[in-house]
Amino acid sequence: MRLRMNAAIGGTLMALVTGTAITSAFWTPENPLRIAMRARLNAPSAAHWLGTDEVGRDVVSRLMAGAGTSCLVAALTVLAAVVLGSLIGLVSGFARGWVDRVLMLVNDALLAFPGILLALGLLAVLGASQWGIVAALGLAYTPTVARIVRGAVLSIREREFVEASRSIGNSALYTMWRHVLPGTVSPLTVLATSLFGWAILAESALSFLGLGVPPPAPTWGNMLAAARPYLESAIWLGVAPGACIALTLLGVNLLGDALRDHLDPRSRPQ
Amino acid sequence: MTATYALKRLAMAVPTLLLVAVAVFALLRLVPGDPAQLMLGDAADADQLAALRESMGLNHALPVQFANWLGAALRGDLGHSLANGQAVLPLILERFQVTASIVLLAVALAALIAIPLGTIAAWKQNSALDVAVVGGATLLLSIPSFWLGLLLLLFFGLKLGWVPVVGYVGFGESPWQALLYIVLPVVTLTLIETGVLTRMARSAAIDVLRLEYVAHARSKGLRESTVLRRHVLPNAFAPTLTLLGIVLGNLLGGIAVIETVFTIPGLGRLLVDGIYARDYPVVQGTMLFVAAIYVVVNLLTDLLYPFFDPRVAAE
Amino acid sequence: MKTSSFLAGLAAAVLCVLPAMAQEPLRASLNSDIRSTQPGGNRDFNTDSVVLHMVEGLVALDERAMPVPMLAEKVDVSPDGRTYTFTLRQGVTFHNGVPLTSAEVLWSLRRYMDPATQWRCLPDLNGRTGLAKVTEMAAPDARTMTVTLEKPAALFLSILARPDCGETGILHPSSVGADGAWIKPVGTGPFMMGEWRRGQFVELDRFDGYVSLPGERDGFAGGKQALVPKVRFVVIPDSSAAKAALLAGNVDVLTDVPSPELPDLRARADVTVLAAPTMGVTGLLMQTRDPLLKDARIRQAIALSLDVPELVSAMIGDDAPANASPLPSASAFRSDAQTGRPARDIAAAKRLLAQAGYRGQTIRMITNRRYPNVYDAAVATQAMAAEAGIKIELEVLDWATQLDRYTRGDYQMMSFIYSPRLDPSLSYEMLSGPKDMQPRKVWEDPQALALIQQSMTATDSAARQRIFDELYKLFMTQVPMIVLYNQPDYLAFRKGVRGAKPWAAGQTRLWNVSRD
Repeated sequence: MRLRMNAAIGGTLMALVTGTAITSAFWTPENPLRIAMRARLNAPSAAHWLGTDEVGRDVVSRLMAGAGTSCLVAALTVLAAVVLGSLIGLVSGFARGWVDRVLMLVNDALLAFPGILLALGLLAVLGASQWGIVAALGLAYTPTVARIVRGAVLSIREREFVEASRSIGNSALYTMWRHVLPGTVSPLTVLATSLFGWAILAESALSFLGLGVPPPAPTWGNMLAAARPYLESAIWLGVAPGACIALTLLGVNLLGDALRDHLDPRSRPQ
Repeated sequence: MTATYALKRLAMAVPTLLLVAVAVFALLRLVPGDPAQLMLGDAADADQLAALRESMGLNHALPVQFANWLGAALRGDLGHSLANGQAVLPLILERFQVTASIVLLAVALAALIAIPLGTIAAWKQNSALDVAVVGGATLLLSIPSFWLGLLLLLFFGLKLGWVPVVGYVGFGESPWQALLYIVLPVVTLTLIETGVLTRMARSAAIDVLRLEYVAHARSKGLRESTVLRRHVLPNAFAPTLTLLGIVLGNLLGGIAVIETVFTIPGLGRLLVDGIYARDYPVVQGTMLFVAAIYVVVNLLTDLLYPFFDPRVAAE
Repeated sequence: MKTSSFLAGLAAAVLCVLPAMAQEPLRASLNSDIRSTQPGGNRDFNTDSVVLHMVEGLVALDERAMPVPMLAEKVDVSPDGRTYTFTLRQGVTFHNGVPLTSAEVLWSLRRYMDPATQWRCLPDLNGRTGLAKVTEMAAPDARTMTVTLEKPAALFLSILARPDCGETGILHPSSVGADGAWIKPVGTGPFMMGEWRRGQFVELDRFDGYVSLPGERDGFAGGKQALVPKVRFVVIPDSSAAKAALLAGNVDVLTDVPSPELPDLRARADVTVLAAPTMGVTGLLMQTRDPLLKDARIRQAIALSLDVPELVSAMIGDDAPANASPLPSASAFRSDAQTGRPARDIAAAKRLLAQAGYRGQTIRMITNRRYPNVYDAAVATQAMAAEAGIKIELEVLDWATQLDRYTRGDYQMMSFIYSPRLDPSLSYEMLSGPKDMQPRKVWEDPQALALIQQSMTATDSAARQRIFDELYKLFMTQVPMIVLYNQPDYLAFRKGVRGAKPWAAGQTRLWNVSRD
């Protein structure tokens, strides 16, 4: 019952978010970038359902466009981390020996670096752009992925079918591709779902510290950061993007739970 | 055995920390802008800049600067802040006290709420109670901490005026006042960590419940509550302990945002301010310190693990 | 559930603690901790504000940012314009009770002129920057101090009075240890150094032996009364938190209020907000060596695409007028010839762009979030320029990175804020110079540079006036920079606080301020 409810609620939320994100690429009620200095900080009304922001832009339109930017940044971040992390994890777990030791040393050093701080430093170097965020967060999450993939590889490579594949003369690369990689898919899927949520959260936190996706492109994070001074007089400005982040994360987490329950038979309801 | 294991683990941490030190140093010097420029502002002319850089010791070659810093660091001297000349190590320790009191309090509170809650949910797995607990926990962990903090600040600090909205008083000075200043950050963190920990405790307890000796205990006719209290709760605590370690480590990094919201002079803000001010010694020292804490916390949780988990101890 | 009862218990207890706040010192916010307590040493704007409560110079800025006597009773200049004779006021004592004599003045000035002190303004007084060169200092008697310059320098007194030079504050030698290391300022100001809890607050105590000049408060000079026994500068880096602190009564005076916080504050009956235009300049810099922007027509087109009065009034309302000139609107050298700015003209802008062959290339503009007005200006500029078909992309950097790019001249456009220049020649000098030697400079037109040089040596103010009028014309045709306005200094304070006032130089002054 829980499984289905998680999947239903999480799926609905995520469909809503991604649907909005895609729609916003073609249509928003108003141009999310158009400034109207005469209509600053208008309260919610029929014309602007969630009011206008500090330079008179329509909040609903910006939230929609923000869904696009936030999701894109998060998705690319996850992609970067998963690709890079899987590569490191596969090599490390499969090669073992000194390669493994060196890779894991670097990995541990990166893990000991709190992710957001790593991103903060990298962003200062790379410059605060959409790509800078993706690179910084992607790199920050890579060690986590590498860890998990390595663990999965280590456990899989001891199984009979891997031994069998090697013993019939298949190359290491082929074995890895054919037999080891598929085994890492389910832990990776679960992790990727969490990473997606973390990335959305991290982007908003970085924006909050003044280092997020640069304006005028709206993201929920930089909308929230920009709304801060007006929280008292224009509370809708702060509540709406925060609620969007929370709902998206809720969707991601529920979907992640459902996925884990589905992929990991141990935790499946008996 | 534990002692040699601990020593080995500590020795293994040395290259990690060294790597962290190199990375931080390199990263910092790659970032454009330097403290001399910041101090002179828009009127900086080349001569003045050069003179100020020299007085800050920034004129040496980078490897020399790094070697100097590392050499001193190994002797326990993390240098002095370039912004205001304060010694870095005492500064870090002072700020760490603030951060640690908030984080530890929040994690302890969260654990107190989360572990029983998670265990009960696991025991009643798939019941309405379980669904409610998991749903609530998932909701809590989905809320961005700084957003929650802002809303709490707005409501309790400004609308109701129950707590001061800015500042910090040390526990040594006035424990009561100190509590007032940290109550909102602690509540914010507690709520969110409760979400995280409840879920962890629940899945840990589910694992334990499946173990044979629980079934055995049940078959002996022990009451459910006794089984839960005597067998499940302590054993579910072990994996949660590990995760507690991870949570602690992450919190130290993530708290910068919370400290900004509540203007608490903690370690996170020291670091963020240090990065903005290009205060090299402060940033290098703080990052090294945070990494060391992370290593130590992980080591401690690993060492404590066998005491709580009969399965590991038995092996 | 547990947390809510916990909270309720706490809340009840808090209510009993609040009345204790009546004995609190007068508290003003500070958006970053001070860097040191040394006048003109390791400093920033906030450091100057705090330090100038404790030390005073021979001369100080008045309310309109002109130098007037402070510790000197009068200043006489020799007929050749080279020797300044300062006659000290009588009855002034240092915080340690020792009377002020020329010996301490000589000691202080020698200390500043010693390169080891690393006084910020040394290059301006030893001939390095060409502004003035001190050749001799003497104390002929206990009340007289003389300073001789190599040649006459119109800016000498205003350098001495500059807040960033620490007002060349006169110190008692016990301010430093036997080894010359700094201890704390033992000065003559109305407040003395109290407790400095780094990262949290700086507390100053009233100096009971303070002898005030007669009259009203006048900039950093005039009458000064410490009306409260203690003042405390509370460090609150986050502006929203600072505002919240004011509203909740955790600070009494909010200094340096960023413009986004103003609407909330002004809406409150229990808070007063005051504004005064400063000498700082907010504007858009353009790199005249950029392949695209080196064409003056494109720069002119950008200027024409902006509705500056609209932009300024949207940002700061009526708190400061739009100003097209590098000279601050408050400057005495602003004539009617220096007020015009062409009105927004999209068609003309498009024509110029077409002539220059602009085909929608992206122009990158750097800005930062540390100064909200700089950021807002960039966002508004981007939107307005887009209507003329100019594509501007924003690059939001942290302040240190932006400063680095500025210092290296590595940008196309930059939304920027210049710190106050108190002399009109310096207002032009700050942005003009040969880029090969000073890459940070924006304008390197030879004619302009020659005019600026002339303005520094001319002593006749009518002649200077003519030079500045001409410079303005040149500036408006070449458009190396679009000046927007002079950022107002905002001060907000709670009901019951009396005497707090913002002013042209912008530093916080807590003397003559009281709380009911």
